[in-house]
Amino acid sequence: MADGDDIVLEELNDSELVKQMHDDLYDGLKDEIEEAVHILLRRKWEPYRILTEALVEGMRIVGIDFRDGILFVPEVLMSANAMKAGMAILKPLLAETGAPRVGKMVIGTVKGDIHDIGKNLVTMMMEGAGFEVIDLGINNAVEKYLDAIAEHQPDILGMSALLTTTMPYMKVVIDALKEKGIRDDIVVLVGGAPLNEDFAKAIGADSYCRDAAVAVETAKQYMMRKHNQRAAG
Amino acid sequence: MTAERSVERGAGDRRARRKAEASSGVLQPPWAPIRNPMPPLELLDEDGVRRIDDTALRVLEELGIEFLNDEALDVFEKAGCKVDRSTKLVRFDRGMLRETIAKAPRQFRLFARNPERNLVIGDNTINVGPVGSPPNVSDLDRGRRPGSYEDVVKLIKLNQMLTCVHHSGGTLTEALDLPADSRHLDLYRAHTFLADRCFIGRGIGRERITDAIEIVCLARGIGREQLMAEPTLTTVINVNSPRRVDKEMIAGLMAMTAHGQPCIVTPFTLAGAMSPVTIAGALAQQTAEALSVIALIQILRPGTPVIFGGFTSNVDMKSGAPAFGTPEYVRSTIIGGQIARRWGLPYRSSNVNASNCVDAQSTHESLMSIWACVMSHVHFMHHGTGWLEGGLVASYEKVIVDAEALHAMAAWLKPMDLSDDALAFEALKEVPPGGHFFGATHTMARYEHAFHQHLIADWRNFQSWQEAGALNATQRANAVWKKLLESYVEPPLDPGKKEAIDAFVARRKTEIMQRGIV
Repeated sequence: MADGDDIVLEELNDSELVKQMHDDLYDGLKDEIEEAVHILLRRKWEPYRILTEALVEGMRIVGIDFRDGILFVPEVLMSANAMKAGMAILKPLLAETGAPRVGKMVIGTVKGDIHDIGKNLVTMMMEGAGFEVIDLGINNAVEKYLDAIAEHQPDILGMSALLTTTMPYMKVVIDALKEKGIRDDIVVLVGGAPLNEDFAKAIGADSYCRDAAVAVETAKQYMMRKHNQRAAG
Repeated sequence: MTAERSVERGAGDRRARRKAEASSGVLQPPWAPIRNPMPPLELLDEDGVRRIDDTALRVLEELGIEFLNDEALDVFEKAGCKVDRSTKLVRFDRGMLRETIAKAPRQFRLFARNPERNLVIGDNTINVGPVGSPPNVSDLDRGRRPGSYEDVVKLIKLNQMLTCVHHSGGTLTEALDLPADSRHLDLYRAHTFLADRCFIGRGIGRERITDAIEIVCLARGIGREQLMAEPTLTTVINVNSPRRVDKEMIAGLMAMTAHGQPCIVTPFTLAGAMSPVTIAGALAQQTAEALSVIALIQILRPGTPVIFGGFTSNVDMKSGAPAFGTPEYVRSTIIGGQIARRWGLPYRSSNVNASNCVDAQSTHESLMSIWACVMSHVHFMHHGTGWLEGGLVASYEKVIVDAEALHAMAAWLKPMDLSDDALAFEALKEVPPGGHFFGATHTMARYEHAFHQHLIADWRNFQSWQEAGALNATQRANAVWKKLLESYVEPPLDPGKKEAIDAFVARRKTEIMQRGIV
């Protein structure tokens, strides 16, 4: 196997470079990913193509090995950071070219709940998968969710709770979305240790996500459906 | 000496008695506090403990702890702490901290509604309480399911029937079928009517605590002043590690402290996730966080009893999931005890595991945890029975598997009989070389109660066990919890007190329905 230090990214052809980017994402090499993104841009790659073929595909592999217990959480964190760095370069260009977005999510723990370590893992993994995430942090009242939705127009709303006393508040938020007539415009994903499928159904959420990897998978599926609908429409 | 034998007249009497015993089913030693005759294990030497403690003090001096409650910030400021209002970080001077923490008692008593169930928290006493707060329950018959009020009732009754359980616990499972804002009232009522032991109030917000205070006063027939002198209620105050204390928990803490009731202050320090990945670092953090909250209590009301809680464990670094009963957990439990003693505080730890079912892993991890509790002189063993799946499930079978382990632990910790009678020279004289002791006079006088009675162990030979259905220990535990529930007897409580509690619960439910809970 080639020693990473000996590889000069500029000398690789496109397909070798993309493959190398997958490896570099896996290894969490932020500087190398930034450099490779710049190289591909100079070679006149469409920003959306760089995003999907190099970054999202690379993180898909990371996601599989995280799910299968091969990668450690800190390694995935490094991968996600490398992805975010590449994404930061592409973001303004994607907006300019009107490329379809991977997806946008507003996320936060519900009112009364300040337990956010799980939510933070979801944020990290979602960003790693190319989603734009607006993290509202902890202890969010319904108004905060509504304001953020109005401001950012996300595809997905994520809510989490650790306490059994606060989890019913998710229904308060979903009911407010219904009242505003915007429930069907947004996918609602919920998570947290005391939750389950039945609870998610009962409160009118779209899906319960048992962990960060499942959250990403679920979000991707909903986005794919949305894109298909758009294409069909 | 010749032992006196009670001779039963005819085989029929004995047969009837044995049958009665077998159908009532479950033989247990009488309820008794567990006293640990061993000195606590000093895993680290003096210098090692000092280094962890010193790091904790540095954290408190240089980094501070975030308190998300303005009233608490006022209290700290008045007491001379450095309070940054913009970040809500409180920094402590170590001299002031030592003086403040020293006001907490080394030992105290908890007063149950049945005085025979009063507890000593401190010294060498181990008090066991059942699992707390799982949102789910499971048993072999119905599988894993969300907790319900029916389960709360059954789990309180089941634990009340166990003589190795000293405390009735708190939320044995969440009654998810009841409204979230008022189900604490149903929980307290169930603890008070169905058990005669102390229980844990919910430290989330002020009113869940003041409701519990009212109910324990009604149950004991005492006023607030007497309750202040004779604490009954406990609550667990968790720190939202790293270095953050929740507004709601502080409100609960303040209500407890105003009434002189002890908080069990327990940081949630899972190494690798909410704490440094090294156990030494996680313990320094646990110490800093616990001391900061205990300081708040001692500033608010000096001398209020308090328990130093340890919950440091590690996570699976490949998924972030908590792990329990690991070598890291054992270490942190034992060293946590050393640190609690250094500060002169009673100590809490837990019987925990992270297995998804009642199996070899759950039993192994639980035993590691229980041993760590015993060796570290834990005074309050939380989650003593029934905890499964890292605390997400209360398992009926696990209650019995844990009771088996706890009974056995209590049995060997009892003082040993070293009388002449027990040394049995006469028996040795009676049985000739190569003989046997099954029929010796000494044996005949003692055989029924000579050895510890197990709940689920099966020592028959393979064929006998197979013919009896080849049940494994978990399946046998299933039969035991059912037998215990069948033989459950409600402990007496004055009907007038019951009425008063019912009236209070009804009134509070109406109030909460009308204007919510604070």
